[in-house]
Amino acid sequence: MSLEKQRLAWVILFVILVLAAFIIPFTPLLSGVTRVYGAFLFWSLFAIVVIVCIGFITARWGENDEG
Amino acid sequence: MKASIIYLCLFLYFIIGSLIARRAGGKATGDINDFFLAGRSLGGIVSALTYSATTYSAFMLVGLAGFTYIGGVGALGFELIYLSGLVLVAFFGPRFWLVGRKYNYLTPTEMLGDRYQSKAVAVVSAVAAVIFLIPYSAVQLIGIGALLEGISGGAIPYLVGVGIAAFIAVYWTWTGGLKAVAWTDSLQAAVMLTVAILSVIFIAYRGFGGFGGMFSQLETQYPSWLAVPGPGFFNINTFVGLTLPWFFFSLSNPQVSQRLFVPRSLGQMRIMVMGFLVFGFIYTLVSILWGFSARLLLPDLAIADNATPLLLGLDVVPSVLALLVMLGISAAAVSTVNSIILTLSSMVCRDVFKNVSKENYESKELLIGKIFVPLFTVVIVAFATLRLDLIASLSVASSAGLLVMVPALIGAFFWKRGTAAAVLSSVIVGGLVATILQYGGFRPLGYWPGVWSGLVAVVLFIVVSLLTRPPAGKADEFIGYLKDELGRRKVV
Repeated sequence: MSLEKQRLAWVILFVILVLAAFIIPFTPLLSGVTRVYGAFLFWSLFAIVVIVCIGFITARWGENDEG
Repeated sequence: MKASIIYLCLFLYFIIGSLIARRAGGKATGDINDFFLAGRSLGGIVSALTYSATTYSAFMLVGLAGFTYIGGVGALGFELIYLSGLVLVAFFGPRFWLVGRKYNYLTPTEMLGDRYQSKAVAVVSAVAAVIFLIPYSAVQLIGIGALLEGISGGAIPYLVGVGIAAFIAVYWTWTGGLKAVAWTDSLQAAVMLTVAILSVIFIAYRGFGGFGGMFSQLETQYPSWLAVPGPGFFNINTFVGLTLPWFFFSLSNPQVSQRLFVPRSLGQMRIMVMGFLVFGFIYTLVSILWGFSARLLLPDLAIADNATPLLLGLDVVPSVLALLVMLGISAAAVSTVNSIILTLSSMVCRDVFKNVSKENYESKELLIGKIFVPLFTVVIVAFATLRLDLIASLSVASSAGLLVMVPALIGAFFWKRGTAAAVLSSVIVGGLVATILQYGGFRPLGYWPGVWSGLVAVVLFIVVSLLTRPPAGKADEFIGYLKDELGRRKVV
């Protein structure tokens, strides 16, 4: 996949992820779950997925380093 | 807690930090890049720690814990969506870093001025940053003043606390510029995270018999605190209004975006980003658990921001640890303030004075930049003595004001059609919208100032760009260089 296509794919994935983080906890799916496995777990997992994805995006940064 | 013990603790902290600052600063070379950008040669771990200490301020264990106290788990969503905003660094970080080296940019606003071929863009963006970051810095000093006053039972007067914090910040910054700031920040980040983790473990086990006990008490006594809107504070409008400006923090705030010029290689920048993400995730969880603990142990507080100082006074926190937490919060504030002072000073000498001075400026540039370090500190202290508004609100107001820089920054890298007139109109009008809405207390349609200032800035940037002439040659050169270099390095 070309760099442009990879960039677009990551942008689309992150728009979906971040919108989900804004919206899903406020929907009936989670807004009525008053347990630790509700919004608390959802947002914690969201952050872990984000960290892993950023790890993939930045994975090649050091490959062509010449200072 | 006895004032004499607190003074002793702060004195030791100052001495240790000063030794590190002097050693890190080394011999003054007289080079402006060396003073303000650590010679563009920081390693990844120090970069990660200073980025963390600069980003995370007294707000976390005071303001964010306070938000959790009154609003519940929405505070976690707010702060973790902010953390996810680091994806912007994943895209913009290498771009900042590459053009910073090629064109020798000292500040993000200098980059904007050059990219849009307009001195006015550099001057106006720098002035806007000064206007919005001074309240943000003052908030940090207000936090320390209030904390020391509260924890000492009034024996340490508010202004003395503000003065101590300001002196520490300015002394370390003056001593060795960014090298001193980065290394003292690293010490401070380590203190912040270690004492925060230790304290929350103590609170959980001594207060509730473990984290399971804490959560089961929350589920039975305060179930609505585990959902949004929950107790009501985090309705969708408040949530979006608070969170949106913070999502763009890594781009909009020059004290952190300037750090994208600093790592010695892209590989080291990756360590900075990943290290910060791990630090941020842990520190956020700890701050939220701290707020939940206060809700359970101190259920009737009138002012949420008092949760932390009062929690430190309870038996569940050993007094030595309470002292260290106080130090950790002070460290968080000082490390944010000194970085902001350094960045603002670099912007004034490079983007304001250089663009208005006539001749022979280079020889005086570093001196002018250094003079602004104590000058800005005095202004920030003066602002702190006014003690305006609630801690978190002022912090967020600054983010709403700085958000207006984001369209210009995105345009610089991705839209050749962007123009200087568009940058000026979006920054000036967007900034005015943020200021008027915030200080007038207006929320049209229920949305917070950051939503409106961001929207106004985006619309103005696009519309005015389409109506005016872009700097086509510079845009082609700037974006073309990045395309070639990123392609060669296989960076998205």
